[in-house]
Amino acid sequence: MARMMQRRRIWHHPRVRDGLAFIMFTGPALVLIVLFIILPAVQTIVLSFTDDTGAFVGLRYFREVLANPDTWNIRRFPPGIPPWGSLVHNAVWILVHLPLSVALGLILAVVLDKAWGATVLKSIIFLGMVTPMIIGGVIIRFLFDENAGIITAILRGIGLEALGRTWTAYPETALVALILGSVWLWVGFSMILYSAGLATIPREYYEAAAVDGAGPLQQFWHITIPALRPVTLVIVAMTILWELKIFDIVYTATLGGPGGATMVLALQMYFYAFRALQFNHAAAVATLLSLFTFIVGLWFTRTMRT
Amino acid sequence: MGRRTWWLGVVWLVVLGLVLAACATPTPQVIKETVVVTKEVEKVVTKEIPTLTVIGPWAGAEMDQFTPVLAAAEEKLGIKVRYRIYRAEDLSQVLPPQFAAQQAPGDVIFMWEWWVRENAEHAVDLSDIWASEAEQFMLQPTPVDGKIYNVPYVLWVKPGFWYKKSFFEKNGLEPPTTWDEFIALLDKISAIPGVKKAIITGDGVGWPVGDIVEHFLITFGGPELQEDLIAGKVKFTDPQVRQIFAERLVPLLGTYFSDPVEWTQAIDLWWNEEYGLYFMGNWLTGMVEDPDDLGVFTLPGARGVVGGTDWAFVPKYSENVDAAKALIAFMISKEGMEIRVKQGGKLASRKDVSPNAYPPADRALAEALAQIENPAVPDLDDAVGGDWQRYFWDQMKLLWVKPDQLDTVLENLDARFPTQ
Repeated sequence: MARMMQRRRIWHHPRVRDGLAFIMFTGPALVLIVLFIILPAVQTIVLSFTDDTGAFVGLRYFREVLANPDTWNIRRFPPGIPPWGSLVHNAVWILVHLPLSVALGLILAVVLDKAWGATVLKSIIFLGMVTPMIIGGVIIRFLFDENAGIITAILRGIGLEALGRTWTAYPETALVALILGSVWLWVGFSMILYSAGLATIPREYYEAAAVDGAGPLQQFWHITIPALRPVTLVIVAMTILWELKIFDIVYTATLGGPGGATMVLALQMYFYAFRALQFNHAAAVATLLSLFTFIVGLWFTRTMRT
Repeated sequence: MGRRTWWLGVVWLVVLGLVLAACATPTPQVIKETVVVTKEVEKVVTKEIPTLTVIGPWAGAEMDQFTPVLAAAEEKLGIKVRYRIYRAEDLSQVLPPQFAAQQAPGDVIFMWEWWVRENAEHAVDLSDIWASEAEQFMLQPTPVDGKIYNVPYVLWVKPGFWYKKSFFEKNGLEPPTTWDEFIALLDKISAIPGVKKAIITGDGVGWPVGDIVEHFLITFGGPELQEDLIAGKVKFTDPQVRQIFAERLVPLLGTYFSDPVEWTQAIDLWWNEEYGLYFMGNWLTGMVEDPDDLGVFTLPGARGVVGGTDWAFVPKYSENVDAAKALIAFMISKEGMEIRVKQGGKLASRKDVSPNAYPPADRALAEALAQIENPAVPDLDDAVGGDWQRYFWDQMKLLWVKPDQLDTVLENLDARFPTQ
């Protein structure tokens, strides 16, 4: 009897009870994460350092991947036209797509903040986000197509005949077409987040600034932008992660071509694994990609904490 | 029990269910049918009808042309068949993890021949059903350790440049018989008002461009050159190969060929007479409004054209190996093949199929091909396979818009050519 009472007391001890609750509540998610994310990730990392027999080979596959001109072809970097290698293409994607998506999203959110019919317009812009990226890639391809494309038709209409041809067919323009198209697909994300952020800024700030004589531009610069900093951080982190793992748009629009001009890391990983059947090389690319995303994730969590 | 604990229990159950579902081996689907054996005895027995899954790349019109074969097989073999569409590109992702788990998404799968050869340890030996049929076939599978793991189905050919007979008649054009006539024809087509370019170039992932290149290589180098290239005996930088590119193909790019246009969109543009010619495989006959208005010619002097087939195999993890083999045996039989070619869009890979089995447009093509020395030259990129196939297509797409990079392209093709 005394033993039973003691056992019951142990179960009701606050630390034991909290510990059990913690395990019970996080358990389901942890089981799934370990099984479907952590284990495959660890296996992939192991695969990138071992050969087919399971022997440790160090950085061999990483060296081979990085020595491949499909990954790194910097000799052709401007003034040369692409291909510059998947690593460089991903970097270019981030350098061009990130500022454009963030800036456009912010501008649209501010302009449409109180505009008439803003909800409808925002919904239309957000359509890009809900469009499956596979379909997005096909649409981009047609947008920049000589015969069916609206962009090329407009460019021809304003006299830019040289840009009226199929952009995805030429190495000079294929990467640009995909990046611009992906801005259209992604800008809805930053716009919606910025719109939500704008709603949280107290109106009093603007009223006080107006009383002090600040114009709309000064208000935007000194109130809106600083107040939206946390939102901007989220958008930047999410956008970089999206750009790093970009695959489906490229797969359907160009398949990495012409001549490798739009090859990106995720697509290269796919080709290594499922066309060349070189799973160790694919794992090396996957590990590199994970490393990059880990760095971004680390930066994001640290910045958010501060 | 509190509500919170109750919900927690549900979440745990769902997670456990998911984990168990992921680990469980699917049980074969079996349809039970009640059969009355004799009227006198009225004895009722239960017969198990296996349901087979056939995976192939054909969708839309091509699928409609294929499903009558499956319907006939169901009737003849007493099986149930369901058809699933997967392109080979998609299967290349799906099959490796499935095979690693000793599972298969289908019982009969159409896949690249080279891929099945590479993965022969996961395929069923089909030597027994192939042995009795081999002599009748134009294409032969490559054995792996003396065994046959995949068999050819119906034939597709890439016979040359298609044209609309009505367009040619309206503009007083004739199919060429010499290279000079071919160039003159291109000039005439280019001069027709409303025509953007003489030839529209199809594009997809790149294969239509590769097909055009192969036609030039076979025409000016002979089927032997194509076979030597496949075997790696001749390099792309070889003077003979370079000459064909430099003197025959490259001068036409930009002048007569359009930029690559998505190949199904290209059909519409060409059919609307914005372009005069279109190089495509014979499945085109099933994709135009009026197949009877179709005409086709090879490059003058061509002794062969690329012909190929879709290869079927049975994964050894199929629950219905015997029924799957019976289904394949039916599909490649004379009867099964005649049912398929009757629907149009494909030719028989068997020699004993009568021309009368074809619809008119395909019959004309079958008869024209009978005049060609080698109507089934192996497809270069299909035969080499692997990542080189994709690379070849991509380099050809580059060449199409950057003909000045010819030497770089040829060097790249050699550099990436598989060593084995």
